[in-house]
Amino acid sequence: MERNRFEILQTLKLENPCLLIGWQSQDFGKIASTSIDFLNDHLEAKIVAELRPSGFYSFGGVKFKGNIVQIPETKLWASEKYNLLILKGEEPEFEHYKFINTIIDLANQFGTIQEIYTLSGTISYIPHTFERRILAVFNQSFLKDTLLSFGLQGMTWEGPPAINSYLIWVAKRRGISGISLWPEIPFYLAGRNDPEATRSVLLFLKRRFRLDIPLSKLDIEIMQRNEKLLRFRNENSEVDQYIQRLEKGLVLDEKEQFKLIREIEMFLDLNQ
Amino acid sequence: MGVRLYFEPDIKDPLMFVGWPGIGNIGILAVKTLKDILGAEEFGEIEAWEFFYPQKVTIREGLLENLEFPTNKFFYAKLKGKDILFFIGEEQPSEGGRGYGKGEKAYRMANLVMDVGIRFGCQRVYTSGACVSLCHHQVKPRVCAVVSSKELISEAKGFPNTFLMSELEDRSEGEGVITGLNGLLLAVAKMRGVEGMCLMGEIPDWLSGAAFPYPKASRSVIEVFAEILGIEVDLHFMDEMERQVDEMVEGFYSKFPPDMKKEYDKRKSIAMERPGTITIQAQIYIDEKFKKGGESSGEEPI
Repeated sequence: MERNRFEILQTLKLENPCLLIGWQSQDFGKIASTSIDFLNDHLEAKIVAELRPSGFYSFGGVKFKGNIVQIPETKLWASEKYNLLILKGEEPEFEHYKFINTIIDLANQFGTIQEIYTLSGTISYIPHTFERRILAVFNQSFLKDTLLSFGLQGMTWEGPPAINSYLIWVAKRRGISGISLWPEIPFYLAGRNDPEATRSVLLFLKRRFRLDIPLSKLDIEIMQRNEKLLRFRNENSEVDQYIQRLEKGLVLDEKEQFKLIREIEMFLDLNQ
Repeated sequence: MGVRLYFEPDIKDPLMFVGWPGIGNIGILAVKTLKDILGAEEFGEIEAWEFFYPQKVTIREGLLENLEFPTNKFFYAKLKGKDILFFIGEEQPSEGGRGYGKGEKAYRMANLVMDVGIRFGCQRVYTSGACVSLCHHQVKPRVCAVVSSKELISEAKGFPNTFLMSELEDRSEGEGVITGLNGLLLAVAKMRGVEGMCLMGEIPDWLSGAAFPYPKASRSVIEVFAEILGIEVDLHFMDEMERQVDEMVEGFYSKFPPDMKKEYDKRKSIAMERPGTITIQAQIYIDEKFKKGGESSGEEPI
């Protein structure tokens, strides 16, 4: 363990905490960032540590977003009340194995980690009027048996791995249970926030960890979003037709998908 | 973390043949083909996760079943009183966005490979790769040798169809760089007291960026390997692969403008001092032809 890779801002000890992880990069539906921010706000979480970015990013310049310079930040919060550690970070560009191990080492400073949960959206061809299922990947079968009763759906997939799969694979090698949660995000909401998917993740976490978190504000946000989109469907027959076809389980061709994404994003940007 | 041997093979003072991917995959194809001809048995690997990002995940009904990494495997074969050890790496490690086969990780991997060789008493290691030269694709590729000490020069000179780097017109001092692990391993071997030789099959400069192998050059390298081991090898099974590649190369060649072709064909009899515009134009043509598709394959990683 290389202690110089992170900085401890506050010392405290939790008892076999669970670690929740969300990445700000590739954050479809802004699931990870909104869920993590919501939890930190509602769980009396304190920032306890920060990862030093050196060695994990190219630093060949600087990214900016909304005219503001962005630096790759990975921070850890702790909620003593719920025995939870919460990490929000930027996926590394290099040295993924070292990065993952550093995160686990860092979290272990605050109590031996029992379970790791990663939060990320997966793009789906469902319309926004459908329920957001949470697809899940487990690194151990006993966990799967326990957690499927929470309404999660086991995922089946073969292909290039995201960092979350790599992370729970490393976790297993280190004797830690790991679950990656993948709420479905309608493809045309992937580039904007999807409060309904965020709600499905938070509801799962609320039940799993018996969190006292109010979801009513989120319910209002969902209602408002759905009303807006309904209004837009009434105004724009083409968009309505596309969504209707998705509701019937039909597939849109690539051109139609791009059109729907563009129309919805433009509408949401103008009607925030 | 590092090397995992499944069992201890009964080998002593083996010759070691090592291959990683590179230009035209000339070296790795030569080493892998020799390994297959000798029926070498796998006995160990370098654990990949420290060096590479996984290539594939398999998730079934919610359970993460497997994560696949590029392989880095050791094999051995016994041959008429000679023991042979092979190492074949599917990918060269990169570090911090720098080129492949550079940096601390590459150095560490080279040392892990040598750890295994030295453990069994290896005193000689052979690597292979590509020698990008001003040769013509219709002429049988030669093999260029770079050795780790003066004592090995005469040995290398005795190999068939082989020349030393210093014999190239523009390399009279025999200087140059063997990029990547096929070169770095020789340095690590030398530092650790093991003799080494890199045997590089010639590939025309304009084909060095092509996204297909160049088996013709691998064949030339295998013929030298066979000489080293004192064996005869039947390489007819490579004919079909060579024919397919030749067909592609001839396809490009047939589209050369007449002046370019005339200039290029001089290579059949004389070595040019340096590549002219012919080479550059042809290279651009190849790059365009084999440009990889964008990253958006329509699937996101899970």
